[in-house]
Amino acid sequence: PYPEPSVRCEVVGWQKVLYERQPFPDNYVDQRFLEELRKNVSARKYQYWSVVFESGVVIQQLCSVCVFLVIWWYMDEGLLAPQWLFGTGLASSLVGYVLFDLIDGGTGRKKSGRTRWADLKSALVFITFTYGFSPVLKTLTESVSTDTIYAMSVFMLLGHLIFFDYGANAAIVSSTLSLNMAIFASVCLASRLPRSLHAFIMVTFAIQIFALWPMLQKKLKACTPCSYVGVTLLFALSALVGLLTISGVGAILFALLLLSISCLCPYYLIRLQLFKENIHGPWDEAEIKEDLSRFLT
Amino acid sequence: MGLLSGGAAEAGQGQAIPAGLLGPPRSRRLQPQGSAPRSWIPTMVLKVFFPSCCSSADSGLLIGRWIPEQNSAVILAVVHFPFIPFQVKQYLSEVQKVSQVDIVVLGTWCNNKQEKEENLGKFLDDLGTIFSHEPWLQISKEKGSKFWSCHTLSRQADTPTEDQVILVYYDQRKVMLSRLHPPEISLDNQPGVITAPDASKLAAVFDTVAKSEVLFMTDRYDDGPIKLTHWQSEGVEASIIVELAKQASVPVCMLLTGLLSLVSGLCKSRIFKFWPVSFIWSKLSTCEQVRYRLEHLRFVFSNQKAENQNQLMRKANIFVSLLVDVALGILLLSWLYRKNRIGQLADALIPVADHVARELQDLLQWLMGVPAGLKMNRALDQVLGRFFLYHIHLWISYIHLLSPFIEMILWYVGLSACLGLTVVLSILSDIFALLTFHIYCFYVYGARLYCLKIYGLSSLWRLFRGKKWNVLRQRVDSCSYDLDQLFIGTLLFTILLFLLPTTALYYLVFTLLRLLVVIVQGLIHLLVDLIDSLPLYSIGLRFCRSYRLAAGVKFRVLEQEEGRPLRLLMQINPLSYGSVVQTYRLPTYSCYPKDTWGSLCKKLFFGELIYPWKQKGDKQD
Repeated sequence: PYPEPSVRCEVVGWQKVLYERQPFPDNYVDQRFLEELRKNVSARKYQYWSVVFESGVVIQQLCSVCVFLVIWWYMDEGLLAPQWLFGTGLASSLVGYVLFDLIDGGTGRKKSGRTRWADLKSALVFITFTYGFSPVLKTLTESVSTDTIYAMSVFMLLGHLIFFDYGANAAIVSSTLSLNMAIFASVCLASRLPRSLHAFIMVTFAIQIFALWPMLQKKLKACTPCSYVGVTLLFALSALVGLLTISGVGAILFALLLLSISCLCPYYLIRLQLFKENIHGPWDEAEIKEDLSRFLT
Repeated sequence: MGLLSGGAAEAGQGQAIPAGLLGPPRSRRLQPQGSAPRSWIPTMVLKVFFPSCCSSADSGLLIGRWIPEQNSAVILAVVHFPFIPFQVKQYLSEVQKVSQVDIVVLGTWCNNKQEKEENLGKFLDDLGTIFSHEPWLQISKEKGSKFWSCHTLSRQADTPTEDQVILVYYDQRKVMLSRLHPPEISLDNQPGVITAPDASKLAAVFDTVAKSEVLFMTDRYDDGPIKLTHWQSEGVEASIIVELAKQASVPVCMLLTGLLSLVSGLCKSRIFKFWPVSFIWSKLSTCEQVRYRLEHLRFVFSNQKAENQNQLMRKANIFVSLLVDVALGILLLSWLYRKNRIGQLADALIPVADHVARELQDLLQWLMGVPAGLKMNRALDQVLGRFFLYHIHLWISYIHLLSPFIEMILWYVGLSACLGLTVVLSILSDIFALLTFHIYCFYVYGARLYCLKIYGLSSLWRLFRGKKWNVLRQRVDSCSYDLDQLFIGTLLFTILLFLLPTTALYYLVFTLLRLLVVIVQGLIHLLVDLIDSLPLYSIGLRFCRSYRLAAGVKFRVLEQEEGRPLRLLMQINPLSYGSVVQTYRLPTYSCYPKDTWGSLCKKLFFGELIYPWKQKGDKQD
């Protein structure tokens, strides 16, 4: 209990300052204390369909992992010829490359200042290094048990999904780490394939699906939202079909997962938003609103 | 504060009193119960250091040095009757000039045993007026009694006063020859150890006796104008061989110095400055040892006189060490060249080298399989194994190529034993290093490969996490990489990670082998260092003439009676062997690794090369 202020002091009145000597204890507050209370200052009102639209990124990434695993399974079983995969991948990459520039009419390229020669160089580096190292990759994990490799790949792919940059502003997000984990997993899995050509094509495919495809997606989403929804649906459908040919139960589970992420989770988010109770007031830590970067030159 | 105070007298007859008990605070602890406390009225206690060889001398004058700050007199000799006072004074001034010690007539000595007339005492009193000294000592020995009496005559009082007098007997020869080693000051709290001020007082007494050496070095049969009694050295005639050796040593030393400077000039000549030669020289321990010995020889045979006792001791130590070394070497030589032992050795050497190579081959075959059930990368394993096998093959053919000459080489190398055992041991170490050169090569290859992998992995791990090492700020910063950089980095990371166990196993095995070789070489070097650094002369001196190296003194009570001067016998405490070695240890060239165990383990972990190559930092400088 606070000590009672003396009679004379009430006449003087209390001020919320510490630099003047007042006849109150330091922690004294008067009746006006809760007047400044504010609730849910930064809470946002979500629209259901916009949330569903935003969840498309997660769906896309899940489907990418799924498609990668399905393709790998086909390659491992020998049901898919590597040449065919390489041809398809090359064709789709070229189409994607053309689309990438067409969508925004070349403004993005101008802004980043990246030349076509640099793109070609990057592509050459990918191809030559992967091709050169593919015999090494083939024998790399020969003596390591298959289960260990599977476990490592699963961990790495989970890590890829966790650290992926879905557009949220969080500390855990690291697109570098995410991409590296995906490449590590793909190298591990590729080393299990029967021949070095398989390994080479698998790693190339991994680059396409984990590095290049999200870049195109981002651009699609920013410029043409309608086509982005269509592409997402198509991609999810093809992943499901691919999974269905391997295992029906897996396909059903995956479909349920996709559905829950795209429909149930947004619904829950909006429902739970109602129970949000954030209070703000004079007790908060001071926040510096002004831009201080001019002092930092 | 006196060096000796009456309190020391409390200790019983014949009991040794450690020298450290001589300060006033401690003497109070030993206050006598029987005698009256009147002797503890703070009067200055007079100490008289009396040479024990003079105790049976004829009556005469006492000459010596008066140390006023300690209120003590160091008696050096007795001048017998008859003498002419003027001659005595002249003689003393001559001695003083040579020895730089303030030698004066301190008083009279009266040996009553031989006293004929009663009035001699009176005469002795009168002498005090001729040789004026303050205070004038009168020491007399009574006939048939073991007690002595000592009076001091002060000119002011003009009457003999019964001061507290302590007579301390000392062995003149031992005190003159001994060298006092003052102990560490930090030890002065312990009882029985001389404290630093006490030590400096003792040092003054020792110094006085040592400096007046010229007094004792006169010839026994050389009749001077006055007759003296003191400890008599054998004189020049007795040590004629020593004198001859001294005379002869000068030209010998000059000759040897000339030869040595010729040899060292040759060594410094330009032929040995070129890169491969100088590099090989710096790596061979034989060269180091020979250079070290040359330095010693030059020091011993240098024309310059040793400046102080320490340097003299060092010269003697080096000389004895050299002699012992060469003697051991010649012993080895005579053993080696009898019964064709060299040939047997050479015959045994090749099979041993072969055997080692075969064992290594077996080891490599084992490593190329599935060693200890480890998951190795088969392809890399095969490549490394074949590489090392080929290396061994090369090595064996080289050894076999060399085998016809080995006996000859050993024969000539064995001749170097006359340079000393240490040189032979160094050569042995070098030969061992040469014969295990393949192990060294394996170690270097393994370490380089492993080091590359470790550093590559550590930097690629940073890339994997999207970080990089900032050289300017010496810290890890985050960094945004290009897509192709990320891809290649991760690809390499994966490959290195899966190949690491194979490399690490090879590195581990060869490092263990290398450590074994280094330990054997280290033991040989330790032996060489032991022979090099042991101060054999000092140890021998301590063993045969323990008084020569004194750590301090102790006093034994001879007589103690009321009203008589206390008589003490001063004995020299020899230095302990441990401190002899510590004080006179010869410095050695040390080629030991200066790492601690922790840093050694760290180096081993990161694959940096250990002994004997220079470290990375040294190379860059």
